[in-house]
Parts: sequence; C-alpha cells; structure tokens
Amino acid sequence: MIDTRIYEQFRDIGRDLYTANMISSHAGNLSVRLGDKLVIKRRGAMLGQLKPHDLVETGIEKNDSGVALASSELLAHRTIYMSTPALAIVHCHPRTAIAFSLSRDEIVPIDNEAAYLLKKIPVVAEEFASGTPEMANKVANALKDYKIIMLRGHGSFATGQTLEEAFLWTSILEEACQIMLYAKLIDEPFIEYRKMSESYTKF
Amino acid sequence: MAGWSEKVLEIDLSTQTYKTYPLDMDMARLYIGGRGLGARLLWDLVGPGVDPLSPENVLIFTNGPLTGTGYQTSNRFSVTTKSPLTGTILDANSGGFWGMQFRKTGYDVMIVRGKSDKPVWIEIKNAAITFHDASDLWGMRVFALTEKLGQNNNKRNVLCIGPAGENLSRIAAIMNDRERALARGGPGAVMGSKNLKAIVVEGKDRPEIVDKDQFKFLLYEARKSLAQSPLTSQALPEFGTVVLMNIMNNVGALATRNHQQTQFEGAEAISGEELTDNYLVRNASCWACPIGCTRISRTEKVEGEGPEFESTWAFGAQCGIADLPAIIEANALCNDLGLDTISVGSTIACAMELSEKNFMDSELRFGRADQLAPTIEAIATRSDIGADLADGSLRLATKYGHPELSMSSKGLEMPAYDPRGMQGQGLLYATSNRGGCHMRGNMVGPEVLGAPKLIDRFQVQGKSSFVILHQNTAAAIDSLVLCKFTNYGVAEEYFARVLSAVTGIKYSTGDMIKVGERVWNLERLYNLREGFTNKDDTLPPRLLNEAPTDGPSKGWVVQLEPMLKEYYRGRGWDENGIPTKKKLAELDLEVLL
Ligand code: SF4
Repeated sequence: MIDTRIYEQFRDIGRDLYTANMISSHAGNLSVRLGDKLVIKRRGAMLGQLKPHDLVETGIEKNDSGVALASSELLAHRTIYMSTPALAIVHCHPRTAIAFSLSRDEIVPIDNEAAYLLKKIPVVAEEFASGTPEMANKVANALKDYKIIMLRGHGSFATGQTLEEAFLWTSILEEACQIMLYAKLIDEPFIEYRKMSESYTKF
Repeated sequence: MAGWSEKVLEIDLSTQTYKTYPLDMDMARLYIGGRGLGARLLWDLVGPGVDPLSPENVLIFTNGPLTGTGYQTSNRFSVTTKSPLTGTILDANSGGFWGMQFRKTGYDVMIVRGKSDKPVWIEIKNAAITFHDASDLWGMRVFALTEKLGQNNNKRNVLCIGPAGENLSRIAAIMNDRERALARGGPGAVMGSKNLKAIVVEGKDRPEIVDKDQFKFLLYEARKSLAQSPLTSQALPEFGTVVLMNIMNNVGALATRNHQQTQFEGAEAISGEELTDNYLVRNASCWACPIGCTRISRTEKVEGEGPEFESTWAFGAQCGIADLPAIIEANALCNDLGLDTISVGSTIACAMELSEKNFMDSELRFGRADQLAPTIEAIATRSDIGADLADGSLRLATKYGHPELSMSSKGLEMPAYDPRGMQGQGLLYATSNRGGCHMRGNMVGPEVLGAPKLIDRFQVQGKSSFVILHQNTAAAIDSLVLCKFTNYGVAEEYFARVLSAVTGIKYSTGDMIKVGERVWNLERLYNLREGFTNKDDTLPPRLLNEAPTDGPSKGWVVQLEPMLKEYYRGRGWDENGIPTKKKLAELDLEVLL
C-alpha cells in the first residue's frame, strides 16, 4: 500500500512536467526509493494525470509484485539506485536539451543559474536508447558524478533526494538550453562574465 | 602522496615512549581520515570486552586529507575511542584551530595508549615529541590551563581536559582551543584515566594539493554556494545555531522538561534572536570558515564562546529554564570544567523529573536556574549529588529504579529534537552507532528546514532511505573531516571533487557516500562484537508510547517498528539488524570477519 503522501508527490511533479512541456502525453517517468523498494509509474499511464493505481511498488534489486506493469525504464531506475545515492529520479524529454544533445558530447550552460548549479551536463549515447542494460549502465555511470545527464536523442535523467529536487535540475537544464538557443539566434559575440569560466567545462 | 602526510604517531603513556610508522595507504583510501580511519584502527586496537577506562583503551586522534588545506571548514579533527558512557564505539569531532595545527605537525594519526603513572602533558612541535610532568597542572580548569600552556591561534594550540575528565565523569569532554569540545560519550574520562592532561601542537608543514587549479575553482564555487544559501549566509552567522530554538518550538519538536512536552513556553526568551539582541558581543569562526556560526556572548559574570543551540536547549527547555544569562553561564562553566553540555543538561533534567516524582531525594526542580551552576560543579568533582549525575542519565535513572526516565538511546542522551515531531529523527537516534545523536546525520535539514528540499516530517513509509543516506553522508563528511554546516550550502558532489583535486585519486559522489556506508557498517560490526543487538536500536518508552497532547505534533509517537524494518532491509542487513555477507563484501569489510 503506497502512502498518500508519496502519491501526492508523484501527482504534482508529473503534472508540472507535463504542463512545462517536458513530455508528451504518455511519456517520461518518475520513481522514488523507499529503503530496498522503489515506487515507479505504471507503463502507459499519463504522467500529467496520475491516479493512485498508476504507481507500482517493486524491489530495488529483484522483481516482485506488479513488475510487468512498471515502466519500460524500470531497469535504468534500478541500476541508478544501486549505483548512486539517489532517492528520487525524474526522467523526461526536455525538447531544447534533446536538440542540443544531438550535436554535443556535453552541454555547458552559459547562464548564471545553470552554470552555478549544474556546471555541465554530460551527454551519453547508446544505439538502443531505451530499456536495455547497456543504456541503464551508461546512464547510471554518468549519474555517479552528475545529478543530471542527457541520453542523446532521448531525454534527461535527473536524481535527487526528492522528486522536487530532481525536477529542479531538469527545469534548470531545459531553461539553460533555451537561453543558449536564444543566444544563438541573437548571434552576437558572447562576452564571458564568469571567473575561471574554462573550469566549468572541466567540472 | 598528496592529501595524506602518510605518518602515524603512536604514543605509549605507560613507558612515555613513542614511535612513528607509515600510514597504510590502502586503508587511507578506503576510510579517508577522521572518523573512518579512527573506526578502522579502533577495530584492530581495542578488542571486545575492554573496560573503556582501563589502559587497554586508546585515544585515536585523526585529521583528514582536506584538514588544513584552506577548503571551507577544513579545520576539524576527530577522536575515536571506546565510550565509557555507552560502551559503544565512539568518535567525536571538533572545529577550532587545533586540527589544522595538528595536521601541520606532519601526522595523519596519533594513537595514545597505556596509562602514565603520574599526570603528564605532551608537546608536539613539528614532528618532535616531548613528555612533560603535569603534576602541577592537575586540577586546573580549562581556560586557565589553555592560557598557561601558551595557546596562540596561529602558532600553537592546546587540547586538554578539565577536572571532570580527571574525576572520570562519564560525560566529560576533551576541550580544544579553550571552548571547543570533543564532547559526546565521555572521551574526557578516557583521557583522564590515562593521566593525560593536555596535548599541545605546533607545526609548519603545509598540506600538498595535486590539482591546484581545480581546487581553486571549487573553493570559489563553494564560496558562492555558501553565500547564496540562506542558512549559511544569514541564519547561522546572524543567530548562530540557536536560530533553531524558535523554529523547533514552532513545529512542536523541541523536547521540554525531560521530553514531557514538545513545546516550551519560554522558547522565545532563550532564542537566538534574544541572544543576539542582548548578550552577543561578536561572531567568531573556526579556522578557514566563512560561515562563522560561533557566538561570543557576555553576561555580568562571564564572557565566552557559545552557547550553541543544543547547550541552550539542554539547560533551557529540557530543564524548563527560561533564564538566558544562567544558561550562558552554565555553558561557560561546562567548558571550563570540561563537560558535555547536552549530557549534563539532560542528566540534570532527568534528576529533576526523578526528584519531582519522589523517586530520588533531592532539591532539584524544573525551572530552577539557580540550581544549574552548583549541580554542574558537583558533577565535575563527583561531590554530593554530582557523584551519581557524573555517570550520565541512564546510570542515574537505573540507580533510582526508573531507567525509562533517561532520555537516551544506547545510553547517550539525545539532543534537542523531539522525534515525535520528526519521524526520521526518531529512526536516526535509534540506529545511531554512538547512541542518541544528531551529528550522525540530522533530519532537521529535510524534515524541518527544507534543505535540500522539504519532506513530510510525519511520513513513515520511505523515511528509512533518507535516514540511511544522511547517515552515510554524515559519516563521509566526518571522515574528510569537514563541518556539517557546509552541507547546508554545498552539495556532496563538491566534497568528492575537492577530495579528488587534493589527492589526485578520483572519487565520485557515489564513492564518497560508499565510504560513509563502509564506516557506518564497520561501526555497527564493532558494536555487535561488543554484544549490542537489534534490541538496542530503540528509544525511551515515552517517545514510543506517550503522544503530546497539544501543539503541532499532537497525537504522534515515533512509529519506530515499521521504519526500523524498512531500515534494516534498506541497509542490506538481516531482520536482526546484522549486516549480510553480501553487503560486507560489497563494502570491502568481509576481511574483518
Ligand atoms: S560553521 Fe561554525 S562550527 Fe562550522 S566551521 Fe564554521 S564556525 Fe566552526
């Protein structure tokens, strides 16, 4: 039985992700760690309109109840929990960030907030960018060093202690990418305003 | 290798000799320093059944690879020993200047073993060790002694015990830099039992840093983060830790009158705001700390450091006393005598309840500010009523037939946060390896302050995962050894990166947390070897059965059982709280069994 306090977090963050244009109607997913269990969105449920029965509880290490119903990204979530200190994961499809991920190996924000909070976001690539052990390992590995990473052409994976925290990194990333896009459209030389700016790319 | 000086100093007081040898670098990589390295060495040096106050117990002083580098709050060091109060593994750490100076002598670790036949003090100047007769210093209080031994914040620093440690009070602290304390669990008594009065350090070696550019960048970024967090840039510098008094009272999690209530009507009168308005002389800070949470306060009778939130609470709300000058003076007195303010305050509160209920024959009563100073003096000298109180609240309450009135876990008095209003904090106290403690991961961040994000403090399901993470993180920070308050502004990933920059060894955030998990499990193994079991992972019955009748935590008791079950599974332990083989193998701990 999943505590309503936990359901409410899923419902609110799911709705915010949808209204912020970070996912299409049935995409993306969320999970939280509860000791040696995790709670994840059910396969095919709409993240923007989650009902209590849309959440599935299963073991971190091994399958138990309801697992066939869980999201196709369950393996990635499990692997992330087993190899990082994360207690919550937000996976979604921020479109500007996805666009940048198609041509870069890392996204280094130029705006103050993202430079300050994220420094840089690595982009990892995998031929089958969905549901495979290879993809799960790559994503989890990158998340050992970073709180948010991009999977090329697919989307972002962010970790935190709460869903809210992981959502925060996600929205900062997407905002940073939009700013970079606008800066490109303005197409004027960039005046560096940050001290030790080259260190951000090494973070 | 950069990061560590790679040198261990081992002092045998029985023979007044010493030797030095290289630090085992594989061990250093796995345990880093501070608490971790201390725990690992204690495992080898103090086997099961040793009396903590016998010459067979040791004191292990450790710093960490960041100590003295100049990274924010890299001033701390720690001491590890077997606790005379709880019988568990004990580590305590302290800020100030001593740790940075100790690092500059060129040692990572100092092990003190045996017992001198007469009082002695040790001087470490650069790498040279001198033993001095301390017969004429025995009996001296901390402030006078610190001055006499020539403390100078930049060149020479003093660590010592006061009369409480000499008289083997089980709640005696080791003091450094006059008013900084390695307070909890009675390390002062261990030092006293060895006839060791003081350790003075003076050094000139500067720690090396491998990647100076990256180190500089991280220093700069961390400074921005600390300046941006309201906790580290406003709350702590402006009001000190006492800022928590009103906050905890408002949420109904301020333990009052020996945890009989969860709100104190006199909270405002002993708050950080009141302290700042009427008693604050100025702020101070430990070495290399931009936060500066330390208060220098003054009453008509005393001027000195503190009081911290926990001390203000222990002599204030816990004893039902709303007299701030009396609290400031009680705090200063404990510092001068070398006592742990939390345990002293809570033990006095326990005696007050025992007396009010006629279980114990004494004059002590809740609300009596005039009783604080004489009782504290009596504890330090073990005179009159102090003879019983000097052994802490659990031994006291047991002696008078009511152990349930000791507000402790594994025998260590719990601090200010009443866990009925913070479920995670309850689980934390119950499972803490050194007993009821808020420094082994504190849920006040996520459960009350919203750092990094607010979680529901009454939520039970899933709480264990927060507690486990915070315990592991705290153990990692204690192994570095940094001040936990930086963690209110700076995320763990900085710690991993700065450690990598200093040592040249790549640590990820996950690696850091894993070091913490390793240390936590090792401490658990130590306690299991001493005979502790899952039955000891508990709280006073009051917190499990008696719900507050009013205030924001009305109706709540700690839901320990379901949280504990989830906790054991989440930790990879069996249902009896014993780490599984698989977990130990994962943490490179299997070799110890
Ligand atoms: S925050 Fe306070 S205790 Fe921590 S290092 Fe700074 S002054 Fe010392």
